[in-house]
Amino acid sequence: MQERLKSAVNLATAASDVAPSRSALGRRTLALFSAVTANRGARVGLLLVLTLVIAAVFAPWIAPYGPSQMGAGMSLTPPSADHWFGTDEFGRDMFSRVVHGARLTIQVGLIAVGISLTVGTLTGLVAGYAGGWTERILMRLVDVVFSFTETLIALAAVAVLGPSLTNAMVAVGIAAIPFYARVAYSVTLVERNRAYFDAAYVAGAGHFRLVFIHLLPNILPPLIVVATLGVSSAVLAAAGLSFLGLGAQPPSPEWGAMLSAARDYFTQAPWIMIYPGLAIMVTVLAFNLLGDGIREALDPRQKARQ
Amino acid sequence: MRSGYLSFAIGALALAVGSQAAAQDIVWARDGDIDSLDPHRATSTLSRQVWYQIYDSLLEFAADGSVVPNLAESWEVSDDGTVITFVLHDDIVCHDGTAFNADDVVWTANRAIFGDNPSLTRSSWGDVSSVDRIDDLTVAFTLETPFGAFVPFMADQFTSMLCDSNADAEDFGTGSAIGTGPWSLASWSRGSEIVLEANADYVNRGRPVDNPGAPLADRLVVRTMPEGQTRVAGLRTGELNVIVPPIQEVASLQEDEEVEVFVAEGTGQNMFLQFAVNRPPFDDPRARRAVSHAIDKDMAIQIVFGDLVERQYCPISRGVFGNDPEFCQQHDQDYDPERAMELLAELGYGPDNPMEVVLATWTGDNRERMLQMIQNQLAQVGIEASIEVMDIGTLNARDTQENNREDGPGYMDLMGWTWFDPDLLYLLWHSPGAYEGFHTPELDAVLEETRTAIDPAEREAAVQEAFRILLEDAAQVPIYTPGWLWLYAVSADTPGFTIGPFNRAQFSAMEPS
Amino acid sequence: MARFLVHRLFAAVLTIFVTTIAVSMLIHLVPGDPVQIMYAQSQGTTPEELDAVRERLGLDRPLVEQYISYLGRTLRGDLGVTIRGEQPVLELLLARLPNTLILAASALFIASIIGLSFGFVAAYKRGTWLDTTLMTTAILGVSMPHFWLGLILLFYFAVQLGWFPVAGSGFPNLVLPAMTLGLTNAAIIARLTRSSMIDIFDQDFVRTAHAKGLPKAVVLYRHALRAGLVPIVTMMGLQFTYMMGGAIVVENVFGWNGVGRMAIQAIFQRDYPLIQGFILMFAIVVVLVSIMMDVVYVLLDPRIRH
Repeated sequence: MQERLKSAVNLATAASDVAPSRSALGRRTLALFSAVTANRGARVGLLLVLTLVIAAVFAPWIAPYGPSQMGAGMSLTPPSADHWFGTDEFGRDMFSRVVHGARLTIQVGLIAVGISLTVGTLTGLVAGYAGGWTERILMRLVDVVFSFTETLIALAAVAVLGPSLTNAMVAVGIAAIPFYARVAYSVTLVERNRAYFDAAYVAGAGHFRLVFIHLLPNILPPLIVVATLGVSSAVLAAAGLSFLGLGAQPPSPEWGAMLSAARDYFTQAPWIMIYPGLAIMVTVLAFNLLGDGIREALDPRQKARQ
Repeated sequence: MRSGYLSFAIGALALAVGSQAAAQDIVWARDGDIDSLDPHRATSTLSRQVWYQIYDSLLEFAADGSVVPNLAESWEVSDDGTVITFVLHDDIVCHDGTAFNADDVVWTANRAIFGDNPSLTRSSWGDVSSVDRIDDLTVAFTLETPFGAFVPFMADQFTSMLCDSNADAEDFGTGSAIGTGPWSLASWSRGSEIVLEANADYVNRGRPVDNPGAPLADRLVVRTMPEGQTRVAGLRTGELNVIVPPIQEVASLQEDEEVEVFVAEGTGQNMFLQFAVNRPPFDDPRARRAVSHAIDKDMAIQIVFGDLVERQYCPISRGVFGNDPEFCQQHDQDYDPERAMELLAELGYGPDNPMEVVLATWTGDNRERMLQMIQNQLAQVGIEASIEVMDIGTLNARDTQENNREDGPGYMDLMGWTWFDPDLLYLLWHSPGAYEGFHTPELDAVLEETRTAIDPAEREAAVQEAFRILLEDAAQVPIYTPGWLWLYAVSADTPGFTIGPFNRAQFSAMEPS
Repeated sequence: MARFLVHRLFAAVLTIFVTTIAVSMLIHLVPGDPVQIMYAQSQGTTPEELDAVRERLGLDRPLVEQYISYLGRTLRGDLGVTIRGEQPVLELLLARLPNTLILAASALFIASIIGLSFGFVAAYKRGTWLDTTLMTTAILGVSMPHFWLGLILLFYFAVQLGWFPVAGSGFPNLVLPAMTLGLTNAAIIARLTRSSMIDIFDQDFVRTAHAKGLPKAVVLYRHALRAGLVPIVTMMGLQFTYMMGGAIVVENVFGWNGVGRMAIQAIFQRDYPLIQGFILMFAIVVVLVSIMMDVVYVLLDPRIRH
């Protein structure tokens, strides 16, 4: 986490070399894409993420059986040509369950990161723009919450909301807000002191225009990196909550919940414990690789260190 | 950092050495801990099983389930059924060496019934108006109205007799407990282990176990080990002697010659479905019947539990007074998916308009797997159920909340109760009811009769009438018995383990290896 | 230096203050009636009795009044009693806190040894196959869900091979959970150490030392390693709190008898006094650790000392 914060701030300083006009933004995105794909790790990451998205979107066509369809095979059969990942205690096809689980994982990533990105960015942006007491109070609060670990905040949120996958997503999203707020805040401070902002200010732009038209687009690139890496920690955290029984409920093919149920069958059918875990790991790895790649592409200093 | 770690490590090592089991121990591993050492402050089976080792009750259940003397050598019920008098044995000694007499009984009962913070199960004592010491060994309970279930309740763990010296201890229930049972409390490290020591002075006056005196082992160590597979591994390596086996491992343990698997019988446990009846769809008995018709209970049981549980037909469990599977089968709503779909169609549900319900239960004992089977079967008649699994305390509260909610999707849950007497039905269904759910004036009258009827045949008729109402209206849909903590896997090196009725594990005849 | 510490102390007090507010209000955020949940186990409780409980707990009084009485009780060391079994909360927490601290400290020890050496070697051999191998291992490690790694270690080494005892809370029982938590976090430390050491290697004084012809080992040890120590030590404080967070999950995998396992049970049981006590205690531990790290930082960093 600290590592990510540091590099995000580096990004903020690095970004000041780039001109902030709208058309330049498009060019930057393109340049970013080619820079990302130039990195081997990021290419692997991107490929894995695409696979995951395809699995999620086309799950009903890819998966030979429904995720909760009992008796698709005998119960607890090892992996075979008919059932690539074997079957579980109800004879449900593990491959189909894992593929359908990708949908939930993508949902978790989008919703949790969506919450923390939106709320965090707004908080940081407002604090950085407004300054004064608003800044002090907001950032002090963010510091306080940040000093707990995300796990604790997520647990407290689930304790209040009650266990379900939706609540777990929300909890994980809330838990990461302070982190995004800090990044947005430090980037805003950098952007505020730049010439284009002063120009817009002198030209008489209102608060809304200054914040949303001028500042927001320019603080986004570092936040994109953070959000990409954030997907991996959100997926990991939500799977952890489901594993503990505080997230998805049966018969949901959520990977953490599947792992938890598989514990009882370890001696008889170890494979039902292997594949969901592997799926979580590959997903997290994919977003980590992609995030690292985007960061390196965006941050010249980081690149120099390779 | 390093030296800090070192001292931590040394501390941990010392801990490890300290908790090494001695040779004459019986180690019993379960998936959870007790909530309290105080029988008035908790209700869980995990707690009750441990209280039973530390405390005795006035009466006991013999192997055949009948009520027999224990701390009380005799008892007498007055003709009008309102005064019950117990005469105690004169040689009972508490763990702290003090004599156990009428004062202790009065202290315990007053604490449970009339204390500032009475027992959680106070209502099961009935309408007690006073508890009086007649002489040193005689105690009389006076009731406002006769109460047939009072006498068997005196054999329950909720009426465990406490020694009045507990009054002097500030940490009674949390760190200390003085009883008269075969084992005395040495220590309780929460979440980890309870160490009990053999009570050398123990005299067995009524327990259904083949040992007239003190336990054979020196200590009984009750460990909490949440992960089932590690309990099995510990049993196989000899670290543990008695475990609660995960259901998935029972078959392989049964084949293991080093291990004997015990299945408790006559537990009084009953697993059933109940509904939120004060709003649609389950305010209509047809909706409840449709659910019951949709479930192939035998098949679900076979897939989830195999032969480890039995099909349950009556609203109270096998082995409990009044249970009559043949009678209950005449009135229940058995598997008939066609009929279920007809009923649903009558109510306006169909493929385009499926009935959506919540199906809840509490964690553990494969119940969430049972719900998945039920969910699957309900889906086949067009009922879409979403599963919610929670802690038992939360589930109890949730059921009451759902019965008080006026809107929301239909709600039903797989609930379990254990009781030694059909008085359970009064507790569950007499208005307002344990969950403020199903009740009718007709049922209330029948249930009142089950309490006041003194003639057994008369009482049985009333109990069966209550069965009929509950089953025909599908207010309670019985599914299986037992439901929780009924399996024990015991190492063959430490023979002598037995289970009394109502799932009472007996350790005092066990020979340590 | 004194000003720095006073500032940090102030922040610490503020954090705990905010935590007490959040914790005391937690029960009001819960959907449904907490009192009903509390008394769900009790047979035949009447609505009048429930009202009496509300009055006893002060839930019918104004929020500010409730908070003041909560604060008063907390300062006297009275965290209330649990709903399940009415056990004293503070006593429960204190009995298990050492177990969690031992686990987190052991894991940090393992993570540091592995992480520092991997990171240092990778930085020193930057760009070689060794660097690539070590850093690939590290990113795989970061992506590994620790509950999955824990299950695999538990089932393989304790259940299948029987190398570790399964019961008890002694040193042999500590090995697997500490390894689980340590290995996944070693990866994070390795990545941080590598980038921090690369920064140092690139700095002028190290290059100068090289140029002066000092032996490689001397340069590495006397200059680079010591300079690199400062950010790494500060990082340790944060790592420790992550370990505490991670311990919550790992304790549940291994049945380690710490506060984390108890907290998850408490969430399931909706045992609010216990959840509240846990959050408060966790916050205090986090704050104490961060103050300790601040002191170490002041002692280590020459720029602050002079």
